[in-house]
Amino acid sequence: MTAGHPNHHPDEETLARFSAGGLRSGRSLVIAAHLPFCPECRATVRLHEAIGGILLSDEPETPLSDGALNRALARLDEPSRMIEPIADNAWLAPGVPMPPVLRGMVRSPWRWLAPGIRRIALDTGTAEDVYLLRVDGGAGLPEHGHRGLETTCVLAGGFTDATGSYGPGDVVELAEDVEHAPVADHGEACVCLIVADGRARMTSWLARLVAAAMRI
Amino acid sequence: MSDGDPSSDGASPAATGPDQDVAHILAIATRRDRAAFAALFGRYGPRLKSWFLRNGCSADQAEDLVQDTMLSVWRKAESFNPAQAAVSTWVFAIARNRRIDAWRRSPRRELDEDDPSLAPPEPVSPDAVLDMAERDSRLRAALVGLPAEQMAVIRLSFFEDRPHAEIEQALGIPLGTVKSRLRLAMRRLRAHLGDMTPPRTGRDGVSS
Repeated sequence: MTAGHPNHHPDEETLARFSAGGLRSGRSLVIAAHLPFCPECRATVRLHEAIGGILLSDEPETPLSDGALNRALARLDEPSRMIEPIADNAWLAPGVPMPPVLRGMVRSPWRWLAPGIRRIALDTGTAEDVYLLRVDGGAGLPEHGHRGLETTCVLAGGFTDATGSYGPGDVVELAEDVEHAPVADHGEACVCLIVADGRARMTSWLARLVAAAMRI
Repeated sequence: MSDGDPSSDGASPAATGPDQDVAHILAIATRRDRAAFAALFGRYGPRLKSWFLRNGCSADQAEDLVQDTMLSVWRKAESFNPAQAAVSTWVFAIARNRRIDAWRRSPRRELDEDDPSLAPPEPVSPDAVLDMAERDSRLRAALVGLPAEQMAVIRLSFFEDRPHAEIEQALGIPLGTVKSRLRLAMRRLRAHLGDMTPPRTGRDGVSS
C-alpha cells in the first residue's frame, strides 16, 4: 500500500450519487470516511458541489408555504442539537483515535467476537447494518459471501483477499455474488468501516457458527 | 416575500446575488443578522424546495428540509470560508447532507458538522476570496458552454441523483455513452478551471 494515498476509490457513479445526497446514510458514511484520505475524490466532490450550487441558483422558485420564513426565524434561537461525544474508551486501535466522521455514532466499546476479531455496531439510525470490524494482524475471517452490496473503507492497517490488497482509505465494494476470506496484514490491526445491505452468507458450517457468534 | 417583515435588527438587504450572498453569510457570522438570514432564505428557500421536490421529496418533506437547511446555514455561518467555496456551493452541500440525514430513522447527528469535503477553516485573504468568485464564474461559463448532451448527463447525474442505468433509459443512449459523456464533460470543466488534476485511469474503482 502507498502510505497516505488510497489506491481503491469509489466508482464515479457512487461518488456522483454521494455528491447529490442520493446514497443511503450508511453508504454515504463510507464515502465520507474515504474523503479525508483522498485529495482526488475530495476535489471531484468539491467540483460536483460547485456545479450543484450553480444549478441550484438557476432552479425555478417553488413558493414556500405561508409563514415559512417566520417559522424559520422563530427557530433561530433554539439550542442546537448536541452531538454526543465519542465514548471515552473508544479508539480505533491502540493509540489511534476514532475519525471525526464517526462522531456521535460510537456508543459502545469493542466487543470480542472470535479470537483476534472485535466489532462495534455503529448507531447511525439507518436500516443498514453499519459497523467497525477490527481484525488483529495475521488473523482472518472465514470465507463468506454477502446477501446484498457490502461497502468497506479501510480505516487503519490493511487486509488481503482474492480480489486484492487494501490499505488505509481504500474503498471496496463487494456485490452479493462475491465470496472472500479476507486476512489482515501482519503487523498492526486492520480496522474497517463496513456497511452491509444484507447479512453475510457463510459458505461452510464452521463459518456459519462463527457468523452466528459474530452476528454478521 | 409573503411572510411580511422579519423581526430584524439591521437594514433590510434587498439585493440578492452571489456578491450579496457572501455579505449576508458574513453578517450572520459576525452579528447574527436576522435580516441577512431573511434575504438568504428568500433567495435560496424556494430554489431548495424545487431541488428537494425534484429528488423525490413530498411537498411536506421538502418544506421541512428547506427549514433544516436554512437553520444549518444560520448555525454554521462562522465556518463558511469564502476563499474555499461559493455560497451556492456551500448551501448545496448542506442541503445534500440534510437529504442524507433524511434517510435516518432518528435524527441523531448532523452530517455536515464535519463536512468531509471542506477542509478546516484557513485564514482568509481578500485575493483568495476574489479567486474563488472568479473560479465560480469561470465554472458557470464553462457549464453554459457545454454541449447540451453533456449538460443533460451532468444534470441527471449529480443534481438529480439518477443512477447511470436510469440516465441510459431517460436519454435513450447506451450506458457506455452515459459514462463517456460524463467523463468528457468533467474533463472539459476541469480544463476551464485550470484544474489539471488528471482523471484516474486504469485503476480500481473506475469502470472503463
